[in-house]
Amino acid sequence: MDLLAQILINGVLLGGLYAVMALGLALVWGVLNIVNLAHGAFIMLGGYLSWHLYTYLGIDPFLGLPITAVVMFCLGYALQRGVLNLVVRAPMFNTLLITFGLEVVLTYLAQLAFSADFRTINPSYAGSSIALGPVVVPVARLMAFGVAVALTVGMWLFLLHSRLGRAIRATAQNLVAARLYGVEPRHLYAMTFGIGIGLAGAAGGLYGTVSQIDPYIGATLTAKSFAIAIIGGLDNPLGVLVGGLVLGIIESLTVLYVGATFGDVASFGVLVLVLIFRPSGLLGKTA
Amino acid sequence: MSNITMRLAGALFGAVALSAMPAMAEDLVLGASVQLTGPVANTGRYYKDAYEFTIDKINEAGGVKVGDKQYKLALKLYDNQSDVNLSVRQYTQLISQDKVNLLLGPFASNFALADSAVSEKYQVPMVQGGGASDQIFSRKFKYIFGTLAPASNYFGSTIAMMKELDPAPKSVALLYADDAFDVSVADGTRPLLKDAGITVALDERYTSNASDFNSLLSQIKSANVDAVLVAGHETEILNFVRQAKSLAVAPKLYSFTVGVPSEDFRKALGKDADYAFGMSAWLPSADLKDKYFGDAAAFAEAYKAKFGYEPDYHAASGAADVEALVQAVEAAGTLDPKAVRDAIAKLNFDSLYGKIAFAENGQIDLAQTVIQVQDGKVAAVYGAKGFLEKPKYPMPAWNAR
Repeated sequence: MDLLAQILINGVLLGGLYAVMALGLALVWGVLNIVNLAHGAFIMLGGYLSWHLYTYLGIDPFLGLPITAVVMFCLGYALQRGVLNLVVRAPMFNTLLITFGLEVVLTYLAQLAFSADFRTINPSYAGSSIALGPVVVPVARLMAFGVAVALTVGMWLFLLHSRLGRAIRATAQNLVAARLYGVEPRHLYAMTFGIGIGLAGAAGGLYGTVSQIDPYIGATLTAKSFAIAIIGGLDNPLGVLVGGLVLGIIESLTVLYVGATFGDVASFGVLVLVLIFRPSGLLGKTA
Repeated sequence: MSNITMRLAGALFGAVALSAMPAMAEDLVLGASVQLTGPVANTGRYYKDAYEFTIDKINEAGGVKVGDKQYKLALKLYDNQSDVNLSVRQYTQLISQDKVNLLLGPFASNFALADSAVSEKYQVPMVQGGGASDQIFSRKFKYIFGTLAPASNYFGSTIAMMKELDPAPKSVALLYADDAFDVSVADGTRPLLKDAGITVALDERYTSNASDFNSLLSQIKSANVDAVLVAGHETEILNFVRQAKSLAVAPKLYSFTVGVPSEDFRKALGKDADYAFGMSAWLPSADLKDKYFGDAAAFAEAYKAKFGYEPDYHAASGAADVEALVQAVEAAGTLDPKAVRDAIAKLNFDSLYGKIAFAENGQIDLAQTVIQVQDGKVAAVYGAKGFLEKPKYPMPAWNAR
């Protein structure tokens, strides 16, 4: 029983981390209709940025998250204005190609710049834990979970209530009508992509604190984020949180009851089931 | 003049210019495909650096004497991007298009397993120092030789040590990744544990590249085992140790097939690397004499000075591979791949890596020394003759360090 409780806690905390990784991907996908295959590479860059802030400037990884997010936002904004806007209305295949290309370029630039060495962001509390009876809650994961929930709810409120958020949703729903109301799509797309990349950067900082960073972590993180975004649905950031939690819990339980090689089978199996039975995601509107 | 005759004239001129060049020492070309990029680039670089370093050293010493001709060593190296399929294509290209004379290996068992099919098919010998899985050597291939100790015995010395520890661990959890090397390690470890009378409380295979070990660690904690043995890759071990700390899982002992000997690994973990056990078939000792480098200590020092990081057994094994090929060519007195192959099978020489002599199946046998991270440094704690240094055992709880 204790073991099950522990596994469920593990799954929930893992799910929070998953959600924050997928948040930016889902936003960009939902609004721009770009499946950003470079998303994991941006998480990786965010991780390196946080690592540098922590290692050379002594900035705590959690306090450094806003800095990482802002820098990554600027990078995302510039990339969208300079590169991706050229293909935003092209067929899906072109956007896949260009983001895949970006992924490759970013990964190899990262190896050139940072070498293939492993990096960990390791503040003193990274390994500490709180004991709740027989169950242990890792502090860094709990904090990461808190950040995930805060970011998700923040995103949700932002999209629902702010002017920019409404403009983003309007553009996603009906571009022509949004333009008639004075939305400037190029700026708006770049803002959206910037926010998506900023979120990826923040996720990278969290990831580096609980796991490790090297130039090649991106591809698997993209795949994971992709699955979570589909499971949760693209309409609503809360859906991504639910998707992350569902995936985290299912993976943890699978490892316990079936075997450690079946974690991915379970998560991508759920992906297939969701695509069959609820194609717009668990919280998405049914057609 | 028409366009075609212009080109013909150009080609002719080029040919004349080439043939008029002065005769230089001929190259003896070694071919290899190594992981310079991709997820295992971190270990792949040991091989690239070791190959180049050793080749330069041998060339400085005058190169290779084959019969009465002097050759200069050259390396034709491809980056396989940590992709097995690409490395198979590259080895095929090395033989059929680049016409290299002999082959050096890639890193990792799954690569060596696939690439050795190429060397076997074209009957060009490959001496590889990156694949230890017993599977590579169980197929009766004649052109593959390996300088890593057999995977099945990686934990042999660790288990021998466990029997002599006080209190001796009674139960273990065995975790291993699902690839050729780690499966061989697990298959070899189970009977050793049984013979030692140690219970295997948890025996779990996990997916290569897994980053989340929380569930497995919770099971380990719940089963309350004394020791944990993990066969995996460095990134996995890093995550394992970090997550063990954050879940306050502290068995009396844990040991890993990789990571502990590597400087980068210890740096990434910092103080948390302490108490981790591992094994190495090679330590940079001045007792290991070498024809080209003097001894292993001198090799390690020169290597660190040149590349800025400490060599571990991967690097030493890679250096030994180059030396093995060179010694075999000199003994054979010809570059004919079949004759060189037979000479490799007969090799018996001392190198910076240890004694190089291949068994019938093509694999070398070296004893694994148990090592442990103590205060950020690697200490050799247990060898063939018993304890070398006192191991730090049992491992204290994480909050008591």
